[in-house]
Amino acid sequence: MITYVLRRLIQAVPLLLGITVVSFAILKAIPGGPMAAYEGNPNITDEDIRRLEHALGLDQPVYIQYLSWLTAFVTGDWGYSYSSHRPVLASIVERLPNTLYLMGTVYVVTLLVAVPIGIFTALRQYSWFDHIVTGTTFAFLSTPTFWLGLLLIIVFGLQLHLLPLGGMATLGTDFDVVDRIRHLILPVATLSLVGIGRYVRFLRASMLETLTQDYLRTARAKGLVERVVVARHALKNASIPLVTVAALDLPELFVGALVTEQIFGWPGMGRLYWDAATRSDYPVIMGFLAVAAALIILANLAADVFYAYLDPRIRYA
Amino acid sequence: MRRFFIAFASVALVVAACSQAPSGAPASGTPAAADAPVRGGTLIFAMWQEPTTLAPPYLNQTIAGLVSQVAVEGLTRTDTDGKYQPVLAKAVPDVNNGGVKVSADGKKMDVTYELLSGVTWSDGHAFTSADVKFTWENRMKDPKVVNRAGYDQIEAIDTPNDTTVVMHFRSVYAPYPVLFQFLLAKHVAEKEADLSKSDYNQRPLGTGPFKFTEFVAGDHITAERNPNYRVKDKPYLDKIIFKSVPASEVAIAQLKAGEVQAMWNILESQTPDLEKESAIKLAITPSPSVERVELNTAQNKDMTDPTSVHPVLGDIAMRKALVWATPKQQLVDKLLFGKAKPGSSGYSQGWAKYTGPPQDGYDPKKANDELDKAGWVKGADGIRSKGGVRASLTIVTTTGNKTREQVEQVLSDEYQQIGVELKIQNQPSSVFLSGSWSAGDPRKRGTFDLDMYATSPDIDPHNHIFTRSHSSQIPSAANNGVGNNYTRLRSPDVDKAIEEGGATLDLEKRKVAYNKAVKAINDSYAIIWLYERASIDAFRSNVGGWQGNVWDNITWNAGDWYLKK
Repeated sequence: MITYVLRRLIQAVPLLLGITVVSFAILKAIPGGPMAAYEGNPNITDEDIRRLEHALGLDQPVYIQYLSWLTAFVTGDWGYSYSSHRPVLASIVERLPNTLYLMGTVYVVTLLVAVPIGIFTALRQYSWFDHIVTGTTFAFLSTPTFWLGLLLIIVFGLQLHLLPLGGMATLGTDFDVVDRIRHLILPVATLSLVGIGRYVRFLRASMLETLTQDYLRTARAKGLVERVVVARHALKNASIPLVTVAALDLPELFVGALVTEQIFGWPGMGRLYWDAATRSDYPVIMGFLAVAAALIILANLAADVFYAYLDPRIRYA
Repeated sequence: MRRFFIAFASVALVVAACSQAPSGAPASGTPAAADAPVRGGTLIFAMWQEPTTLAPPYLNQTIAGLVSQVAVEGLTRTDTDGKYQPVLAKAVPDVNNGGVKVSADGKKMDVTYELLSGVTWSDGHAFTSADVKFTWENRMKDPKVVNRAGYDQIEAIDTPNDTTVVMHFRSVYAPYPVLFQFLLAKHVAEKEADLSKSDYNQRPLGTGPFKFTEFVAGDHITAERNPNYRVKDKPYLDKIIFKSVPASEVAIAQLKAGEVQAMWNILESQTPDLEKESAIKLAITPSPSVERVELNTAQNKDMTDPTSVHPVLGDIAMRKALVWATPKQQLVDKLLFGKAKPGSSGYSQGWAKYTGPPQDGYDPKKANDELDKAGWVKGADGIRSKGGVRASLTIVTTTGNKTREQVEQVLSDEYQQIGVELKIQNQPSSVFLSGSWSAGDPRKRGTFDLDMYATSPDIDPHNHIFTRSHSSQIPSAANNGVGNNYTRLRSPDVDKAIEEGGATLDLEKRKVAYNKAVKAINDSYAIIWLYERASIDAFRSNVGGWQGNVWDNITWNAGDWYLKK
């Protein structure tokens, strides 16, 4: 197992490298660029633009730009934002807790709600409860977050005045747990409602399949009570697909939710990336993408390891 | 959209990037006499773009200047009438008060500022002439500063004592008062090896009514009362929190809900909705920003030869017809809700403003007659052609700007009626407004027929009119794409008038010269001045003391703002 994990980790290095090359190439291929922000300033001359391009290294050939980014990156120097001039690493570290706070809550809420519902709908297949859940989850599954988020803001914020319209806390006040929770409700609801739908569908399908297996009949024949049959024997096997999906979703805890953070003005990683993308702020974009790619590779590995734990038939060598 | 890109080097000129309001003086929140200012309270100001930095040398966003200037001041600023006012200087030097001395040969000049004494930075450290000199040195040394225009005309700065600054200019530089409208604190900034990477960038030190205490990227910026502010009893507010919100619609929603008390930059199309709210007051201020349509007189092709002739727009009869077929008043009434004025030049404000005859108005019949006369014959599909050339044109503006897209629709319909086809081919602002030869800005490369965007000249229009209209400023492969004369118009009359305007310090003469230049541009029918815009901000009605300023952002007098009881 350890050799397997090590091998996978070593394989990840060229993969990551490839991802950064492709990302950098795509960024450079996008028309426009960081200098676009200087247009419209009546005091900026073409000479100023050239001086700035030189100061930021934008006048170098693309492969040199990439190589100098890469050599700095691997030695821990992630560069400086073109627009704020702040260290990229500091910008990311500053946003990370906010995103972990939001996405962690979403993750927990989603699992806590989705798992019992998924099991129950499978046990009571074609009951009225199953029909309602199936219909609702499909509806939320097909709902884009930007629409759902705005809808929730309009209904609960603008019309009913029950919840704040965005942000992490009320500005100009001291730390207040209730206030924090009130700000959390709408973005968490937006992301969880969509996520719950997904998880319920996965769990329901695999539960249904497992419940018809021979070994469950054996378990029942041994005289085990239904609760034990479901919880011990069925759920462990049925949860394998869910664990995979949940593990693959782990990077989102760090990367954040681009659209939802933007809609709710949440100062997290998603917004950092959004702002950097609109400004062609290459160092920030590259730093973010490298982190995201590494996390996704790690999450894939984690999913595979969990697999082996849950299903003893799976062996890696 | 345009405001995304507008940025200014100097505080007062961080012009509220829109332009001309309907009429009259700028709006203000000055209350009835009975309603005296109240001290205390926190005001939350919504901004739907976020400053990336607040340090003067690196400012390149309107919003950054708006926030920065509640704390950071300079030697002068520009009032709403376009007059320079002293801030940290005792007076604005000029030839009459002896502050400006032109050398005997008329080629150089010295400008002497006498500074206010007893002024301190918000940390209590004394403000002196050394800070002014340091600001200039930083500007010239630091490779990451946004611009050096004007500062590079200074040869040396002497500081004979703590309150005297003598600037030796290598040329007669007329816009000298717009320099140094933001100053750096030497005692803090000089300790940084690279100022752009330091904390100063987020929390610059200032001498103004507020000081920055918090900069939380993506969330908010807090400015608190500066205890060392030199003006007694000011500011009235304890705190201004600039809240970052993702979009103007969100800012409006929060303003209506009372979560914020003020917001920046409202679009004309959003005003009817807000005008219904009794608890909200709009701050509509004329601005120097003018929306223009430029007609490319050279061939529409990549790296176009400036001496080539556009097969359709090369004909002045065609250009006249397009000007006459443009219903400016209708655009203003229907699409801008009367919050703008039909344009006649790119210079709608200030001492240099164009006061000559207005650009020709809407007259589609005259346009049709002109084209008939010039030999443009209507074909079966209603589109004219001449000598095998079909009068089919394209227009480019920024994608995703609703007002501009609607204007394009109107123009397309109107031009259709005079037998000219207009196809819409918009591009993202990161390309179309990049102003970059290598990034492929179609205006730079010459790959457009008609374009549409806005520009905001400074109170001193020389750089603006020179780079946008002088024949030496046509971007081409030969000059590596330098210049912003996108119509590719070469007119000796225009050149001569612009050169005259730049050659003297006499404002009256300069104004006459620039007016002559605009008249010559208009007579060539290469630019359609669509409308002069206003800048629109909004306050809850319990906020008092605010006042619009044509040449500055709404926060220019934030020290006077207060929350009514």
